[in-house]
Amino acid sequence: MQSLTDVIVLGVSHRTAPVAVREKLNVAEDQIELTLRRAVTLPGIREVALLCTCNRVEIYAVAADREAALRVLGADLALRASVAAAELEPHLYVRSDAEAVHHLFRVASSLDSLVVGEPQILGQVKTTHDQALRAGTAGAILNLCFSRAFRVARRVRRETAIARNPVSVSSVAIELARQVFGGFDGRRVLIVGAGKMSDLAARALQGQGAALIVTNRTAARADELAARMGCGTHPWGDLVGALAAADIVLASTGAQEPVLTRALVAKAQKLRRGRPLFLLDIAVPRDVEPSCAELEGIYLADIDDLQKVAASHRDGRRGEAEQAESIVEQELGRFIESFRGRQVGPTVSALRARVLSLAKAEAEKLVAGMPHLAERDRRAILDFADSVAKKLLHAPQMALKKDTSGDGIPLVTAVQRLFDLTVVEAVEDPGADTPGGERAEVGTTVLDGSVPSPQKKASGS
Amino acid sequence: MATFTALQIGVYAIASVLYLGYLLGFRERSAQLGRLALALGVLLHFADIGARCLHGQNPISSTPEAMGFVGFLIAAGFLSASFRYRLAAAGAFAVPAVLALLVLARVVPAEPGAPAMDTLGRTHIFLATVGVAVFTLAAVLAVLYLIEDRQLKRKQFGQLIGRAGASLETLDRLAARCVSFGFPIFTFAVLTGAIWIARLGLLWGAAAMRPEYLLALATWAAFGVLLVARVGAGWQGRRAAWLTLGGFGGAMLVLVLYFLRHAA
Repeated sequence: MQSLTDVIVLGVSHRTAPVAVREKLNVAEDQIELTLRRAVTLPGIREVALLCTCNRVEIYAVAADREAALRVLGADLALRASVAAAELEPHLYVRSDAEAVHHLFRVASSLDSLVVGEPQILGQVKTTHDQALRAGTAGAILNLCFSRAFRVARRVRRETAIARNPVSVSSVAIELARQVFGGFDGRRVLIVGAGKMSDLAARALQGQGAALIVTNRTAARADELAARMGCGTHPWGDLVGALAAADIVLASTGAQEPVLTRALVAKAQKLRRGRPLFLLDIAVPRDVEPSCAELEGIYLADIDDLQKVAASHRDGRRGEAEQAESIVEQELGRFIESFRGRQVGPTVSALRARVLSLAKAEAEKLVAGMPHLAERDRRAILDFADSVAKKLLHAPQMALKKDTSGDGIPLVTAVQRLFDLTVVEAVEDPGADTPGGERAEVGTTVLDGSVPSPQKKASGS
Repeated sequence: MATFTALQIGVYAIASVLYLGYLLGFRERSAQLGRLALALGVLLHFADIGARCLHGQNPISSTPEAMGFVGFLIAAGFLSASFRYRLAAAGAFAVPAVLALLVLARVVPAEPGAPAMDTLGRTHIFLATVGVAVFTLAAVLAVLYLIEDRQLKRKQFGQLIGRAGASLETLDRLAARCVSFGFPIFTFAVLTGAIWIARLGLLWGAAAMRPEYLLALATWAAFGVLLVARVGAGWQGRRAAWLTLGGFGGAMLVLVLYFLRHAA
């Protein structure tokens, strides 16, 4: 593996650790900066950032001595979570150098997420970077990696359909309703039944400007739900009137027989003068008589329809994920290439400075021990040392500038290691993203990722 | 002139293919490029019409010219609407229609022995042209409405979502707007047409039974009923869409009959 960036990552995620382990490692948001400031004082750690979501806890760090750093960070992690290091070990994954950067790119692009393509993770990665910047623990290399990761994630989102189609039942329901109504501003949403099933969809619709109204067989429970949602109620006896006034119906009662019969809906539709009505039936057993869909202007989707769409979108995302992976690979290649290119110049000058000053120092020491020499001879000795050093430097300098080979350890790294050169200040990214450019996009599809489980309801009712 | 015409037809053809490709499942990019091609086509078409006017072949000088002008109006109308609404799917219907009109208009030679046009005749052709163009847009929207409605009813949701077309309500509203805009124009077209043929002495006798006259009246009536039913009886959605298509079919038939009679 190329050792180029000195970046390492270690952590646990939903893939490797159960929630029982993840929750122990979790760091409260107000503790993160403190944790970072402490971590950067650990021996050998130059930069550090901490990504902490409900599905993963990951430490990104820059350290010259990878093995030692991993040991230190691993021990620190175990200590903080008060678990034995041996207990943590099987859940922990570790990546370094290009692989670590690759991992960061994949995480930011939502390829490593539980629900592939969910949009929140990019915002969370940004927060991680911001926190590290505030704590002063993100240096040149991490800044470069993170800002590139944001760019890669944006490209993935732009060039693939990975985040386009909703994959949760409630967001599918909303997308379907959007197909009929366009927007939800000023639309009236009737919630039939006071079950919790419709909460998520109702809140999302409310958030997009729809007005909610609740009706339920037991008035007390209707009031309760209405209070929770901050909306009004409609008497159960006048279901037809309630339907006539609504645009979207979310039905989730616990009734055994359909509550919205064809006769009832037809009656309401007559009052509506043909305005379209979308019935979303998320109850099991169903609340809406299926033949309602035959009525003019009535659109109906039940829980199976919604789940089928959600499932097909999940399949679709898997296909898009392959394309996204190849984008990430390509971007990683470019990143490594530019990273290496950035290091050549400074490495050359560091090498020159090191060798020339060494030669000069040794020659001066020699000359100092020979006071009998004439000034001209002294000059000659100093010049001789300088010229030998320069001749020696010529070949490696040329080789460094020409090296574009991708295999094995790049010469830049080899030279840095052979001569013990530290080259950090070289890393400045001219193409760095302005922070916050993504804000508008992040979090618009809040529903995704929080998949309500209809099975639970089915078994519970 | 011939190469310029070929260029326009080519550009419209490219736009048609791109829009059709989008409808058949290509990426959104296809529709964006389609719109670009359409915009170019509209510009070329506009320049062409301008050039023809300078040669005395203005849009109302003959039937083919009028048809070409109908095509231009449809293309320009669709293009400007597509900036405001998500109508990419409608492009797959509207742009090929424009293409067909333009090809017909340019391939068929202008009738040499056309009766000399007076102002009334010109006004009639102009109004009818604009009216038919507006009704064509309404018909395209109605087709789209019916397709989307059917998919929703049959729960073929997978094909819908992600296409990100205009919503049913938007399509319905736009179609209604087109009809209420086109109807008064078409009304005047029918009136001027009636006066015109009366002056030519064709209103009575056997000539009055020409099918296109009756069809034109039926078309006018269909759109009239539609307008009244929308406002009065709350007709919308599917029924309104079908009636729009019926009226549009009538208008097309009138155009074809007229065209056949004069081209023969």
